Amino acid sequence: MAVVSAPVLLAAGLAACSSAAAGNGPAVLNYWSFPDNSGAIQQAVDTCSAASGGKYTIVYNKLPTDADGQRQQLVRRLAAHDSSMDILALDVTWEAETAQAGWILPWTGAAKAAAQRDTLPTMLQTATWSGRLYAVPYNTNTQLLWYRSDLVPRPPATWDQMISDAEQLAREGKPHLIEIQGAQYEGATVWFNSLVASAGGSILNASSTAPSLGAPALKALQIMSRLAKSPAADPSLSVQQEDQNRLAMEGGTAAFELNYPFVYPSMQTDNPQLFKHFKWALYPRVYPNVPSRVTIGGIDLAVSAYSAHPDLARQAILCLRDRPNQILAAVKGGLPPTLMSLYSDPAFIKAYPFAADIKTALLSASVRPKTPFYQNVSIVISHAVSPPASINPSATLGQITGGINDALAGRGLVP
Amino acid sequence: MTTVAPPQAPAELSKAERRRLSEATRAERRFGWLLCAPAVIVMAAVAFYPIGYAIYLSLQRYDLRFPQQTHFVGLSNYGAVLSSGIWWHAFAVTVVIMVVSVAIELVLGMALALLLYYTPLWRGLVRTSILLPYGIVTVAAAYSWQFAWTPGTGYLANLLPAGSAPLTNQWQAIGIIILAEIWKTTPFMTLLLLAGLTLVPDDLLKAAKVDGATGWQRFIQIMLPLMKPAILVALLFRTLDAFRIFDNIFILTKGNNGTGSVSILGYDNLFTALNLGIGSAISVLILIAVAIISTIFIMGFGTAAPGTALERR
Amino acid sequence: MTAIAAPGTKTARHARTATQPTMPTGQKVRWGTANTITIAWTLFPIWWLIALAFKAPATLNDGSFWPNQWSWSNFSGIFHGTAFVKPLLNSIGIGVISTVISVVLATMAAYAIARLKFPGKSLLIGVSLLIAMFPLISLVNPLFNIERVLGLFDTWPGLIIPYLAFSLPLAIYTLSAFFREIPWDLEKAAKVDGASQRQIFTNVIAPLALPGIATTSILVFMFCWNEFLLAISLTSTNAARTAPAAMGFFTGVSQFTFPIGSIAAAAVIITIPIVIFVMIFQRRIVAGLTAGAVKG
Repeated sequence: MAVVSAPVLLAAGLAACSSAAAGNGPAVLNYWSFPDNSGAIQQAVDTCSAASGGKYTIVYNKLPTDADGQRQQLVRRLAAHDSSMDILALDVTWEAETAQAGWILPWTGAAKAAAQRDTLPTMLQTATWSGRLYAVPYNTNTQLLWYRSDLVPRPPATWDQMISDAEQLAREGKPHLIEIQGAQYEGATVWFNSLVASAGGSILNASSTAPSLGAPALKALQIMSRLAKSPAADPSLSVQQEDQNRLAMEGGTAAFELNYPFVYPSMQTDNPQLFKHFKWALYPRVYPNVPSRVTIGGIDLAVSAYSAHPDLARQAILCLRDRPNQILAAVKGGLPPTLMSLYSDPAFIKAYPFAADIKTALLSASVRPKTPFYQNVSIVISHAVSPPASINPSATLGQITGGINDALAGRGLVP
Repeated sequence: MTTVAPPQAPAELSKAERRRLSEATRAERRFGWLLCAPAVIVMAAVAFYPIGYAIYLSLQRYDLRFPQQTHFVGLSNYGAVLSSGIWWHAFAVTVVIMVVSVAIELVLGMALALLLYYTPLWRGLVRTSILLPYGIVTVAAAYSWQFAWTPGTGYLANLLPAGSAPLTNQWQAIGIIILAEIWKTTPFMTLLLLAGLTLVPDDLLKAAKVDGATGWQRFIQIMLPLMKPAILVALLFRTLDAFRIFDNIFILTKGNNGTGSVSILGYDNLFTALNLGIGSAISVLILIAVAIISTIFIMGFGTAAPGTALERR
Repeated sequence: MTAIAAPGTKTARHARTATQPTMPTGQKVRWGTANTITIAWTLFPIWWLIALAFKAPATLNDGSFWPNQWSWSNFSGIFHGTAFVKPLLNSIGIGVISTVISVVLATMAAYAIARLKFPGKSLLIGVSLLIAMFPLISLVNPLFNIERVLGLFDTWPGLIIPYLAFSLPLAIYTLSAFFREIPWDLEKAAKVDGASQRQIFTNVIAPLALPGIATTSILVFMFCWNEFLLAISLTSTNAARTAPAAMGFFTGVSQFTFPIGSIAAAAVIITIPIVIFVMIFQRRIVAGLTAGAVKG
């Protein structure tokens, strides 16, 4: 992979250099994105630069690996009105704050229509703020329930059932843990959000001005607390993030896992024995008759407000996330695409046997609270629900409500 | 220690001699400024604007996400920080980490300095290995500790009873952080104390031994007093650094589960919450706290501070 | 301590070489034990990093202190997948240049502070302490803005100059503490002989200050080498990005996997120049000790 893309890299680099030197040559668009070692992004960049017909050349600039580091770098430069950024890869939770601060440009007219065509509605939700579209969904991700069919012939439909199944397995002395992300980080907020949405509620009200935590949130906290106190809880629950969950499942101590699809190819390589019994199902429901609404993740592409070539940037973005490039990113990079028709594409289904379930999950997915204060809200939630064993549902509910009120008012300190 | 004869009082000099003396004084002054100038210029050029700007920001209500709502609020950011339980909690955690780690490092550093100074065996190996922890990139060392203490993947965590996740228990995590700090920065202390040890004249020690003083008495009554300047520098800078601890906590726990220091608090409010007013106020408060600590040190150590008591020589 | 002459002095050295074969075994054992415990304490976390670097990727998470499967793939990974050589060179270059300039400037200033009378001395010390004490997190964004405007962003001087500013306080303070302890009657004697201030400085004082200078050099270099926040904020490409910052760009197998193997391998590689640097300078300190110059 690295060997193939090296000459391509060189060519792109030379092209960028020469165009910059030429002065009247193609405009240089700086694309700032997470570091992608699969080569998919670089390939897309080269294809789109070539396909622009000399109008622009895209240069792929890498941001740090961790999401917080990426946000820091982007915010620092946007706040400084840095014109060396044109195309930005934003996590789905950053659109509200960057749009509110006036750092990214809205999409209107034909470009907006092109951006919305065939795109997952939930992802479009993440890219919308104050009724305007600010970014174009690039890739997405969401969780499924992974279980061992040798231990559990039929996957549980609800959380309560899953915990009961695990307790039963524990009584029989079989592997029985439920792997879920319980560390004090964004993953805990995602879990809470999924539960609240699956219970039919939402964390904030429709206008994102106040918390709307009521019975659904209470139910969510009760589930989390029940799991944490049951034998189904992994002893390391309070430190676990997605990768630790994956390792525990591959190690054979767990019966259930709530995680992203990256665990599937990993299990195939790491534990082929177990892989034979490794199955998936939709995220468990909270109530038997209400479909679950798991939290959506992913990346949206936006145009910097300080870019010298906003229109060209928009064209480039539409190319970077067009059908062939999305299939490339999905197959090479392992991240689900945002164009709905791709989910019935044979090439995609070959690489993603669970494509149909992912699509169902994505269509009914929930978004995290949309507010410029999202980081504050997320910290309030993750600090309240982690470690999960310390949750006292009614007290924790009060803690979260108070914390969110302060966060939305910009009051007080962030721990 | 050789003694220096005190300078002659110029009371009986003639006018011409006095003019020559003031010429010399002025030359000395000029030379002094000249020598200091490059360092001062570099420090001023780099730091004055950012520090000034940070202080200015601390007086504003300035949220990066709502730039148009920026306005002057005087000291109310400071009021908000000082009346917040979150600040005082972080302050307490910071003080605990600082006091415990510096105290242990001083003792350990002194022991290692003595070992380095006196050991007759494997000197090169011992010296290099003692200094090595300070040379490992901080974030890499912190990652190695974090990995070692994570249940399942880490050899240290696996020594503990199953189900314990020390990094998520507040006091266990603080203990781990202190351990990581001590391991990483004791070489700093050791180095400065060792250099201080070289300033202790052997004749004094030999004479004391001839007089029958034990090793411990020689240490307490001769070495320690003569090492005062070195101890001051080591303690002062180490304490200042310990109070501003950031890297180890950030990597080990990210400040979660109540292990955040004041620097982590500042970072969270500045970079995560994008609240420049509060974040800058926290930074200025850290500066004030650190200034108070160093003032206490300098006053406590008295004339051992550099630049003072020049006239004694 | 026993009947051997106080170590560290010239006579002691000779005495030791003369008596080494007859050092009592008990004493050897005690020193040997002390040394071994010390080395174990300082090196075992480093061994863990080395073990992680050499573990085959599949076994990274097995929690054993000793690699069950040895492999070079972590090392080859960082040199192929990510560009790591350039950040390494950046680190060395920026570190060495910053250290040299910083120690030179600090030596001059520390001499003036410790030896000369001029007004504004305590102000200088106070201000440099202020700079050392101000939390770096607040200074990063303004520095970023300045450097962007001046065109220093993502360049070597763009990191060297801030490193100078933030290492000078420690360097000045350390050096002036040592300069105070030098017996200055040598200076008076030279003055009586007619030497100028400058000659006194370069020929008499500077050599005496060698242990202090060596110590300060190590501390400043380590500061520049380890520095992370400025390195990651004031650079954007490998033109000036240093090794610690480059480690923030390592990726794991998936977006959720933490690349501990690559980071450990990078840490091992980065440590090698440090080991060399430390080995050189620890001998300088010893030379300062045994020359006995400071003790007259």
